[in-house]
Amino acid sequence: MSDQEDIEIKQENQTVHDTDEKDKKHEDGDIKDTCRISSLKTLGPFIAAKENSRNTVYLSDVPDICKDKPCMLGVDEAGRGPVLGPMVYGISYCPLDSKKALEDLGCADSKQLTEEKRDVIFNDINTKEYATSCIGWAVEIISPNTISTSMYRRSKCSLNEVSMDSAMGLIQQAIDAGVNIAEVYVDTVGPPEKYQEKLLKRFPSFKITVAKKADSTYPIVSAASICAKVTRDHALKVWKFPEGLVIKDNAFGSGYPGDPVTKRFLADHIDLVFGFPRLVRFSWSTAENALADKAYDMEFDEPDTDKPKYAGTKLTKFFKGTTKSGEVIRDECRFFKQRHLGNVMDF
Amino acid sequence: MSIVLDFNGKNLAKSKTMDLHYLPAKIDGDGEANVEQYFNNYTREATECGNGILTNSLRGYPLVGEQLKVPEQYRGLVLQETEKSINKSIDRQLRLTGVFEEFTYWNYDKVPSNGDAYRQALLMADVGQALTQHISEQDLEAEIARNKENTKEHA
Repeated sequence: MSDQEDIEIKQENQTVHDTDEKDKKHEDGDIKDTCRISSLKTLGPFIAAKENSRNTVYLSDVPDICKDKPCMLGVDEAGRGPVLGPMVYGISYCPLDSKKALEDLGCADSKQLTEEKRDVIFNDINTKEYATSCIGWAVEIISPNTISTSMYRRSKCSLNEVSMDSAMGLIQQAIDAGVNIAEVYVDTVGPPEKYQEKLLKRFPSFKITVAKKADSTYPIVSAASICAKVTRDHALKVWKFPEGLVIKDNAFGSGYPGDPVTKRFLADHIDLVFGFPRLVRFSWSTAENALADKAYDMEFDEPDTDKPKYAGTKLTKFFKGTTKSGEVIRDECRFFKQRHLGNVMDF
Repeated sequence: MSIVLDFNGKNLAKSKTMDLHYLPAKIDGDGEANVEQYFNNYTREATECGNGILTNSLRGYPLVGEQLKVPEQYRGLVLQETEKSINKSIDRQLRLTGVFEEFTYWNYDKVPSNGDAYRQALLMADVGQALTQHISEQDLEAEIARNKENTKEHA
């Protein structure tokens, strides 16, 4: 008898729970789904659901037409210079004969566009039928933690290498997703020749153009640039500090070292031991200098740069081992020395 | 001058267990640290580097580490000295602030291996054991007999 009661109660609870969930889903609509980015509104929640100390890659659905027709693909980045937040690499692609869609979107030099305009275009890319039917995009959010640790590796990995690896990784993912790439356009900060050479080596069958300010010349690069820039802006907006800091409206400025708001943020949030929260790129000289004055000095066991050169046994070796008065100096036993063991009388 | 360890060995089991990190850096400071929020929060498993391998970073420097136990038959103690007297002839006193059975060992951008200074230095435990082991009369005689045996064989 009592068993049955139990079951009934359970069933009741189940149904109540179910309707609750349905209601929630209904209310929040597509925002609840943090796996796909289907509009500007879903970008923030998507980023917020990811770990911000790691890199995140996102690929939009590939329009069917991009699998058949030869496509052009643009590559650009956002947030290379700032001392705060992630650097974002973006690609976008569309068939060679779909230039019209890019023009209709208003893709132009992303730095000339206002933030609002960029947001509108990003939303259009993901919602307007004329765009979603022929334009695809992808971004990689390179976390500030990854940037610092790459640049501080024993064998240093420059920001340029991090950038190129990210760009090539995204292109590869587009290929793997079935995009029929014919032409690639890349915006670069550094010298274009080296970059072009490296890309051609990896992707010999594409027509590759690397140029400075490509985002104002090629609309497809501009579209990539908008995706990257909007993603970076949102990444900063939804940044949650695992360190437990709460900054009102995440107002830490542009992240550029010259920005007074950013400067104040850096000055006000120094931890004596750990330095900064990991929103900060430790490898930037701005960050290094700020810590040099205000935090505990910290010294790492650096890689051995000058290796001892062996040039045979030195003749003078045979005169060592005794003092002038003839006392024998005893070397510490090698067995212990190699194991970092020694006598300690005082500590 | 002598050093006094000011605690009762019998109470060790009741002492506070501490969360410790062995860092590959010299930190020129002493005091409280926000370890939980600024560090532990970011420890991740890196199974691609091997079983139990962990990653994290310190001031942007990449760290690779692992959870280690103190050697068998040993106990980890954290001792603190409130004030080290300048006068060297005065006795020093160390108080117990906590105990540990394990800790997290970190290398700077290097997967922990037998080449690490820490692992090599642990040989001290074996040497200590050999040096302090009680040797009985019988052990000694047995050893002498063995040596004789060996010299005969070689002769």
